[in-house]
Amino acid sequence: MSDTGRANAIEMENVNKFFGGFQALKNVSLSVKVGERIVVCGPSGSGKSTLIRCINRLEEHDSGKIVVNGHELTGAVKDIDAVRSEVGMVFQSFNLFPHLTIIQNLMLAPRLVRKSSKSEARDTAMKYLERVKIPEQADKYPSQLSGGQQQRVAIARALCMNPLVMLFDEPTSALDPEMISEVLDVMTDLAREGMTMICVTHEMGFARSVADNVVFMDYGEIVEMNPPEEFFDHPRNERTKLFLSQILSH
Amino acid sequence: MTFDFALIADSIPKMLMGIGLTFQLLFLSAVLGLVLAITLLLMRISGRWYLSVPTMVYIYIFRGTPILVQIFIIYYGLPQLEFVRDSIFWPILREPFGCAVLALTLNTGAYVSEILRGGVLGVDRGLKEAGAALGLSARHRLVYITAPIAIRLALPAYSNDVISLMKSTALASTITLLDMMGIARTIVAETYAPYEVFISLMVIYLVLTWMIQRSFGWMEKRMSRHIKVEA
Amino acid sequence: MEDITGWWDDFFWGSVAVAQIFVTALIMTVLFGLIGAAAKLSKSPVAKSIASGYTIVFRGTPEILVLLLFYFGSAVTLTAIAQIFDPEIKFIDIPPFWAGSLAIALIVGSYATETFRGAFLGVEPGQVEAGRALGLSGLQTFIYVRVPAMWRLALPPFGNHMLSLIKDTALISIIGMQETLFVAEQAIGTTGKPFTMYILVGVIYLGFSTVITLSVMMLEKYANRHLEAAR
Repeated sequence: MSDTGRANAIEMENVNKFFGGFQALKNVSLSVKVGERIVVCGPSGSGKSTLIRCINRLEEHDSGKIVVNGHELTGAVKDIDAVRSEVGMVFQSFNLFPHLTIIQNLMLAPRLVRKSSKSEARDTAMKYLERVKIPEQADKYPSQLSGGQQQRVAIARALCMNPLVMLFDEPTSALDPEMISEVLDVMTDLAREGMTMICVTHEMGFARSVADNVVFMDYGEIVEMNPPEEFFDHPRNERTKLFLSQILSH
Repeated sequence: MTFDFALIADSIPKMLMGIGLTFQLLFLSAVLGLVLAITLLLMRISGRWYLSVPTMVYIYIFRGTPILVQIFIIYYGLPQLEFVRDSIFWPILREPFGCAVLALTLNTGAYVSEILRGGVLGVDRGLKEAGAALGLSARHRLVYITAPIAIRLALPAYSNDVISLMKSTALASTITLLDMMGIARTIVAETYAPYEVFISLMVIYLVLTWMIQRSFGWMEKRMSRHIKVEA
Repeated sequence: MEDITGWWDDFFWGSVAVAQIFVTALIMTVLFGLIGAAAKLSKSPVAKSIASGYTIVFRGTPEILVLLLFYFGSAVTLTAIAQIFDPEIKFIDIPPFWAGSLAIALIVGSYATETFRGAFLGVEPGQVEAGRALGLSGLQTFIYVRVPAMWRLALPPFGNHMLSLIKDTALISIIGMQETLFVAEQAIGTTGKPFTMYILVGVIYLGFSTVITLSVMMLEKYANRHLEAAR
């Protein structure tokens, strides 16, 4: 399962993050290899979102080291946009640009950041729209699509930048139950194709079937990290056991 | 009490001769004011204190004092200062028209920049983050994401400000300009018929207001076509 | 600076006049706003159309026009009536204080109508239902449930109305009210320093608007104290 010969896509060493007096991340260290799939779970306020938002620097860590695809995250502005273009993010609230059509949403970043031509960007966009199985919605506006469709578009939008890593911040939490599986299916396909992924989610079925490692976070710390069979069936830490009993009993 | 309709019929064309001046004041101040407002906005949201603080002071002063006083300071007050009389702007500042446009521009610029700022603040943070996550630079995010949405949000408030601006042009009559209001005042001074003259002028202004509202309503509709289209 | 000495107490009394006009007009504004809102929210089509007419007319007409119409119109009417009794009378007017306060109260009152109407509609129906379900009478629900909720919603925009009101008082100098601009004109007559004097007037008004803004901020804090506690 784990291949020590592979490079690390993401390295976090002793990362700390404060919001005012509140410590959101405590000495967090995590290595993610290329092609590895990580699911992060934990109670709300445990720092899971903060963790992945530090990876594409939507939050700035206060101490420690974060290296993404070989670039160390510091304050230098030029690097940030370049780093972000290699890291895709899918948000809980989709965040599709409401004033642009679906296809325009997908074409915007490739044209502005990668300087693709209009036709190149359009071809890429249609390719990914077909991947997420909604090519016919290309000329509609986000407000005309269902939640599940919007989230799939959001995934396609991130993929159009050909990222090396995909980050998912509770992608299905804002969806009605009947639309969750269509999004999870897309994410599963993506994982099968070898995309490096870090996914914050409560969908434990997804974690079991897709993840290489499951991480449990609580109060800003990584409490336990194990492959799914061990994580779910033989949790080591008391806090992990407590959390699992609370969410799996529903 | 009789209503002198003949006087109304006679006065309206005379007052409408002033409409050219009213429109000139309105358009010039609106356009220049918008340019000023955008400049002020960029300074205000720049994040650099030496740009944002003077801007906030400027806006505070111009929104906190009556526009009539601002007009008087520029028209009656500036000539007191020697460096103004010696400057290259003197030919403009000597004329009531130039002073009126300047005062209206400075005033509307302050209001509109706050309106635009309201629009910018109304743009959902998540959308800006999505742009950042895609690797778009700060400038790209401002132009392609924030601006289109902010403009649509600011449009209703902006249309109100344009109407206010139009009403303020009537104050130009206090510094001798013969716009519609100025002409009306001279007619009333001669005929002692305030009701006929002023009420007909009121109707003219109401028509102008209605026209401005219709235009902006059309613009708002066009810009909102992507919102909840009932498919 | 020395030019102002000797004029300090004149400007002081002028400021007092401004404050008096403001308070008078404010009371009338609230009255007109509440009546207008009630009319717009009522079931009577007559009341609704009168209120609509009121807001359309006074929001679309320049303030200076309303003021002059009121003042000269009422003067002409009063003089005509008085001349029936005593043909010797040349000119009677409503004191500028009252004509001016009434005029600006009517103008800002038309904006306040919309504000109060919106605030009234913004009260959650669920709260009103809860009040009735508990057995409160219609009047009691109005006083103890509706009004507190309404006031909270109306406060920010009403703060802006108050700022408009204080700035509109400057216009009343045009009909001869002896407030700050009037004093300034006299001071300019003797000192020949229009810039200094008008800037002083501007500073006085800035002081007034600062006081109003701070008061509104404090009132808003008080009105929302229950939300602060929840943090």
